[in-house]
Amino acid sequence: MATLSAHGLSVTPPLGWDAEIFTRALDPRIMTPFGGREAVPPIAHVANFGLPPVRGDFGGGAVELMESGAVFIALLEHDPSEAGAALFTGKGVPWPLSPDDFSPANLQRPIGGQTGCQRFFLVDGRPFCLYVVLGSHRLRAVLVPEVNGVLASLRFA
Amino acid sequence: MTVLVLLLALVVALLAVLVVGLLRSHAEILRRLHELGAGVYDEAADTAHTAGAAARATATAGGVRSPVELKTRPGVPEPRRAEGMVATDAHDISGLTPTGSAAVAGVVGAGHTTLLAFLSSGCGTCADFWRAFTDGEGTRLPGRDTRLVIVTKGHEAESASAVAALAPPGVTTIMSSDAYDAYSVPANPYFILVDGPSGRVIGEGAAASWHQVATLLGQAAADAGHDLDGSPLRRSAPDGRMTGPERAARADADLLAAGIGPGHPSLYPDTLVGGDDAAIPGWEPVPGGPADRGQGQ
Repeated sequence: MATLSAHGLSVTPPLGWDAEIFTRALDPRIMTPFGGREAVPPIAHVANFGLPPVRGDFGGGAVELMESGAVFIALLEHDPSEAGAALFTGKGVPWPLSPDDFSPANLQRPIGGQTGCQRFFLVDGRPFCLYVVLGSHRLRAVLVPEVNGVLASLRFA
Repeated sequence: MTVLVLLLALVVALLAVLVVGLLRSHAEILRRLHELGAGVYDEAADTAHTAGAAARATATAGGVRSPVELKTRPGVPEPRRAEGMVATDAHDISGLTPTGSAAVAGVVGAGHTTLLAFLSSGCGTCADFWRAFTDGEGTRLPGRDTRLVIVTKGHEAESASAVAALAPPGVTTIMSSDAYDAYSVPANPYFILVDGPSGRVIGEGAAASWHQVATLLGQAAADAGHDLDGSPLRRSAPDGRMTGPERAARADADLLAAGIGPGHPSLYPDTLVGGDDAAIPGWEPVPGGPADRGQGQ
């Protein structure tokens, strides 16, 4: 199994899984609502199916390809300036996840049969968002252990 | 009489020249055959059938049984030598994308075949393949639900910007010199077809055109029991629903992954699962049927 390390993140996906750790290219034309420059913190995507090269931060373009046994994990780091926001305050690493953490209502983009889970947390002052999509809500009890296996391999350095 | 003698001498001289010419021609043929390594009834050739002669063929026609060195046309790499990768272990591809992201493409254990295209941004023969994958000529891939992954050498040996410019949109492209080592790729361009579920290489080779590669690997896929017609290049979301055979293949794969194969006892339950609500009033096992026999015997 290969370990991917980049941008202060590392993950060891199981054999046959796809993964990528990347940052978006900084577009100087994009400004935040507060007038600052857009931040481009790192993003990690891990999936047990072939990730299309072009996809959204939350898996747009990839989740449409998911079959019932598919798993998609997105870990998105936020700008350090957001660490003090109530969204993150006092929340540690959320895994291991439970099947009860998943609901179709959690999906960014609802797709029939799929289910999702989203958590916000802090690690060493770095704010993160974890977003997981499973190909089948009915199979969540089978798929969640696979998700937890991948999440357990995540390292923050 | 003198004239007759002169004519006879002339005919003899012409015949002598003809014979000499034939002998020289024969000697030239023998010399060329010798350069090719052929020997008439060469007993030692029998021992040349040992494994490992990936680039050597044995000619057996006409009693000549000697190894002959095969050569490929310029720009096309020769097959790997002895102990080739065919039917051996495959590896996942890990490296960097042309944009610098760390990435790994799952190959071993994937539910489909993966076509690894080892290309370079600099070789002339590779240009045709970059173009084929971009223009749509290479849109029919051998194997089952095949995923195309283009692999180049790492950033230390390739220009990332050149690879980024050539990389077809929607096709996974990874720069990894380690992948070249792991698969013992002899040169560019080179193609390896991997069966994901078994994690084995089922075909490999090189040619001057995509059509030749597709034919070569299509035959290898067919030999391995896969779809000879191939599958469309997957660039984005599927066009529609799965076909019946695709759904059946997925169900078989899921069951097999769970350890349930043909004849598994769970396929022949004695009782219905799900409590009283699931019971069918009046249901009885068919005499001699699977449930009546028990344990799927």
